[in-house]
Amino acid sequence: MATQSSFDVTPLSPALGATVSGLKLSDPLGDTVITDLRKVLLDHEVLFFEDQELTPVQQRDFASRFGKLHLHPIRPSVPGVPEVLILNNEPGSDTDTGNWRADVTFIETPPMATLLYAHEVPERGGDTLWSSMRAAYDALSSSVRAFLAPLDAEHDFAMSFPPDHLVRLNIGIERYAWARREYPPVVHPVVRTHPETGRDGLFVNSGFTTRLLGLSKAESAKVLELLAEHIQRPEFVIRRQWKPGMLAFWDNRVTQHYTVDDYIPHRRVMHRVTILGDKPFNRARLRLAAE
Amino acid sequence: MAKLRVTALTPTIGGLIEGVDLSQQLDDEVIAEVRAALLRHRVVFFVDQHITPMQHRDFAARFGALHTHPLYPGVPEAPELFILDNHANNPTDNDAWHTDVTFIETPPLGAVLYAKQLPADGGDTLWCNMRAAYEALSPAMQTFLAQLDAVHDFARGFPARGTVAKAAGADKHAKAVGEHPPVIHPVIRTHPETGEDALFVNYGFTARIKGLRRKESDAILNMLFDHIQKPEFQVRWRWKDNAIAFWDNRITQHYAVNDYLPHRRVMHRATILGDRPFHRSRMPQALKTAAE
Repeated sequence: MATQSSFDVTPLSPALGATVSGLKLSDPLGDTVITDLRKVLLDHEVLFFEDQELTPVQQRDFASRFGKLHLHPIRPSVPGVPEVLILNNEPGSDTDTGNWRADVTFIETPPMATLLYAHEVPERGGDTLWSSMRAAYDALSSSVRAFLAPLDAEHDFAMSFPPDHLVRLNIGIERYAWARREYPPVVHPVVRTHPETGRDGLFVNSGFTTRLLGLSKAESAKVLELLAEHIQRPEFVIRRQWKPGMLAFWDNRVTQHYTVDDYIPHRRVMHRVTILGDKPFNRARLRLAAE
Repeated sequence: MAKLRVTALTPTIGGLIEGVDLSQQLDDEVIAEVRAALLRHRVVFFVDQHITPMQHRDFAARFGALHTHPLYPGVPEAPELFILDNHANNPTDNDAWHTDVTFIETPPLGAVLYAKQLPADGGDTLWCNMRAAYEALSPAMQTFLAQLDAVHDFARGFPARGTVAKAAGADKHAKAVGEHPPVIHPVIRTHPETGEDALFVNYGFTARIKGLRRKESDAILNMLFDHIQKPEFQVRWRWKDNAIAFWDNRITQHYAVNDYLPHRRVMHRATILGDRPFHRSRMPQALKTAAE
């Protein structure tokens, strides 16, 4: 399927995912290409670019064409390029794997998108899965959708980065205490209206969502458990095996992802850049508030 | 001397077998290599195979006697094979994790599934490794489960109102229910060829765990049905025309992704009968004698 720009898009599954070919991301790209890529990202939710040769600076520069970049409070980054995080999962290191999550939902304006570049990957294992929160939301019963739409949820940095994590991340106690102060829990709608497509999607994740406001603790736990299980249905999910030089570019407002924890003792080194997004909202509730 | 090339698809499950044409008469050595690859990888895949229903049946029959399914329609040329033909008017109901035909005393050893017609997009199948799922349980949970038996029930997997029962017709379904009373299998099954212990309950057919209270049984089974869905235990296979999957049904579960309707997906399946499941602690005397 050709677009106006000089690249090809091959959808990978009915729910989400497409491969984009014919672009060298290390080259300077025209504004038309960037506009078209943004549209393709909105259509497919996660894009894959293969056989790329990207330096950290080139990855940062490509990402910054789509918005402002996020600086992570505690993860290690490439020296001199603080926007590019190094996810280096080897024995004994921080394994950011084995759970479903959206990135950095613990801030008021969670990332619009993430660009993850495979620097070094094991021959087998270490796949990533993405799930479409739009498809997951659409598949809920209308009663449950109506129940969830007015609700808010609390998202907390400390849920994925508990204090014992700092040992594994090898950061100091002062830095952690600073991050904890800097990032108090935030509140987001449970059903988020995508600011560009206008479509509603689920916006709670097992990485950072601690509770649903206005429900009892027991109710909140059960409903979050139901949703955490629901989003894993293979119908909403795509699974990709990495190759060195592959870049995944996902819309973090409408997807969750999961890194498969099955490759230790092999090394897996990834470079991650996240693009800041806007403050999540629910359209129906905005309208109600305006009336 | 290895004749086949086998490539692991993940660290845990799945192998691609190349270098064999399944339409040919295969010698015992090749069959032994396929069997060894199956035991090692739990599910093996072949691509670009052009086989007739008779050749499909004959290949599967090299591994054991075949099972004829009580509900699904058979392939006319080889009635032991059945047809899975899903489209807008016959939606799939295999979008749930299950092990095939655990509702009989001797559930299948394996199944050979052949892609006859595929949608352009979607219709993947996932398999998960019940050995890996078992190993990831805590030792306390493993010990607890090893003593237990579970009830497997045809009527749970094929309720009268389900799409497969409706397609088969009420009479055929009622007859099948009558001929398939619930059966008992160990919760942890010792693989008869590899000797590995693995989980042997599945959402499709396992109704309850014997000896537990209803709530206890529900809680444990739900925990296990959830547990087996971890991506670490899985391979996801994107079908191609003329591809074949052959899985060890004693140690895997699978899930057919329901995301391609209204498009059509047609598969042929041969199902190979297996032995009666046992756990090493409650091994039938005959097997115990043979092992000693």
